[in-house]
Amino acid sequence: MKRFFDTDTFREILDSLLRNKSRSLLTGFGVFWGVFMLMLLTGGGQGLKDMLVQEFEGFAQNTCIIATSATTKPYKGFEKGRVWDLNYADVDRLKSMVPELETVSPTVSLWGKSVTRDENTSSRAVVKGARADYARIETPKMMYGRYINDADNLQERKVCVIGKRVYEELFPEGGSPLGKRISIDGSYYTVIGVDWKDSGGISINGSASDAVTIPINQARRAYNLGNTVHLVCFTAKEGITMSDITPRVREIVARYHYIDPTDEQALFLLNTQLIFGIVDNLFRGVNFLIWLIGLGTLLAGVIGVSNIMMVSVKERTTEIGIRRAIGATPKQILGQIISESIVLTLVAGMSAIVFSVLILYGVELAMTEDGILKAAFQVPFGTAVLAALLLAVLGVAAGLMPASRAMQIKPVDAMRDE
Amino acid sequence: MLIELKGVHKTYNNGQPLHVLKGIDLNIEKGEFVSIMGASGSGKSTLLNILGILDNYDEGTYHLAGTLIKDLSERQAADYRNRMIGFVFQSFNLISFKTAVENVELPLYYQGVSRKERHAKAMEYLEKLGLTDWSHHFPNEMSGGQKQRVAIARALITQPQIILADEPTGALDSKTSVEVMQLLKRLNQEDGITIIVVTHESGVANETDKIIHIKDGIIGEIEENTRHTAWDGPMMK
Repeated sequence: MKRFFDTDTFREILDSLLRNKSRSLLTGFGVFWGVFMLMLLTGGGQGLKDMLVQEFEGFAQNTCIIATSATTKPYKGFEKGRVWDLNYADVDRLKSMVPELETVSPTVSLWGKSVTRDENTSSRAVVKGARADYARIETPKMMYGRYINDADNLQERKVCVIGKRVYEELFPEGGSPLGKRISIDGSYYTVIGVDWKDSGGISINGSASDAVTIPINQARRAYNLGNTVHLVCFTAKEGITMSDITPRVREIVARYHYIDPTDEQALFLLNTQLIFGIVDNLFRGVNFLIWLIGLGTLLAGVIGVSNIMMVSVKERTTEIGIRRAIGATPKQILGQIISESIVLTLVAGMSAIVFSVLILYGVELAMTEDGILKAAFQVPFGTAVLAALLLAVLGVAAGLMPASRAMQIKPVDAMRDE
Repeated sequence: MLIELKGVHKTYNNGQPLHVLKGIDLNIEKGEFVSIMGASGSGKSTLLNILGILDNYDEGTYHLAGTLIKDLSERQAADYRNRMIGFVFQSFNLISFKTAVENVELPLYYQGVSRKERHAKAMEYLEKLGLTDWSHHFPNEMSGGQKQRVAIARALITQPQIILADEPTGALDSKTSVEVMQLLKRLNQEDGITIIVVTHESGVANETDKIIHIKDGIIGEIEENTRHTAWDGPMMK
């Protein structure tokens, strides 16, 4: 008995397919387009998600930020429109009254400060006052040196961590700026670190690259902030759902400041977990649509293959009859038609995979900056393998009906059809 | 006895039952050159299909080279056809997208013979039929006579017991018809191949040694024609 896949069988299949090149091409195109769309959309969706996720890069995923603004509801005798601020007591209260919280970190920020090194170099920056534990909210990417530590804060040291843009403007010559002194509002601070974080869309108190971070106690003293805290950031412990504890946090803060707990504008809580959740859900939906459309197109392509093979079998009645008359078994005919279908589907599908991978590679090249890839647009290897397997199965499925039709052709039909 | 038919009946059941063969008894010896003659509708094509194991029969027995041919599976039938019978058709039935030599090779492909071996053998048969120069031409580049010779080469390549020719000259002009019949005669005389020709042309039948007349599904006269005097028309002169 012959092996299923020797070169002879393959030649027979290729002969039949190449005989009607334009038809094979058009048929294959249906499958090609289905797979191409599926791969391209999957890769593209992956890339978009990557890009969006990068906007949140460096943020603990279970972070929540409390910000204040004027009240919009009257409460306990206070009129609406009252301006209020968070303070240090809130930080301690939250820490002790909500055991689920991991880190509670206060920050102050002073906008539009001018930072200078000498007469020639100056930069506009946001001066942020932060504690060492702020690094657990927004992870810095230290290029040089270190972040603010507890000792800096306790001793109110005049040290600072500068952002990427600030560094580039103050130190255009490059190199380590550690130990150099820069002036903010007439006071001199020693640079102890450079934060290379290139914050995307989301940033607390302005982009990290525009910031000069100093110990919060130093900031309070230098700018006479007293007990005022501009933002309180906190993270929940592992396994805690942030939305479960935010109502309690709101309660506690509102009670001590006589704010209506339902006044969501006065006491604004930004829950990043919620945002991550939304993004996740969004892309789950997008992915679902991609697969729906992709598989639909693919299915249409495969039905096309099946249909055309059906026509082809009908057209080849004589040929198949001749083959049967000179000794082909029905099984050999079945094998031939199914193999033709598989080869057609696989060749079209594989070239679609290769083509879409190339295009996505091009997109990735365009997205690359300074040799660093911004977002991975490529089709995951597993998806490609899955698609290839799916194609083989679909190829068989598409060939089944035409093949069974071909098997029913009797050698006598060859003569009758003339 | 190479072919032995006893009381073969065949009825087609397409809507109205059609009793085509009504008890055929026929013996053909090895090495005979026989023609089956009859008008259209006489059942000669059905008889040929049964002889060629292309169709089943309802009653009776058919022995081919001592083997009972009855109720075979598709696979067995295909195998017997491949090894025992060579077909020559009126419309040549060559596969149009294959060259002459590839067409001739095809039966051996289904036997599982290696590419090299079957190519060599196909070339041998093409040479025998004087088609060496045409071996790599496609059927549509050849004349009718050449096509029929390719088809004969294809029928011969498996060294079958019998050659069944269904109106082998039906699509050919008279000159070429003569050539093809001469070729079949030569194969019969030189190589001793049993040949059965189905035709409705007296001129063609006259070239064979024995003429079997079939009419309304039964065998009529069996004419011995070793001197080829059954018909004196102009065609085969």
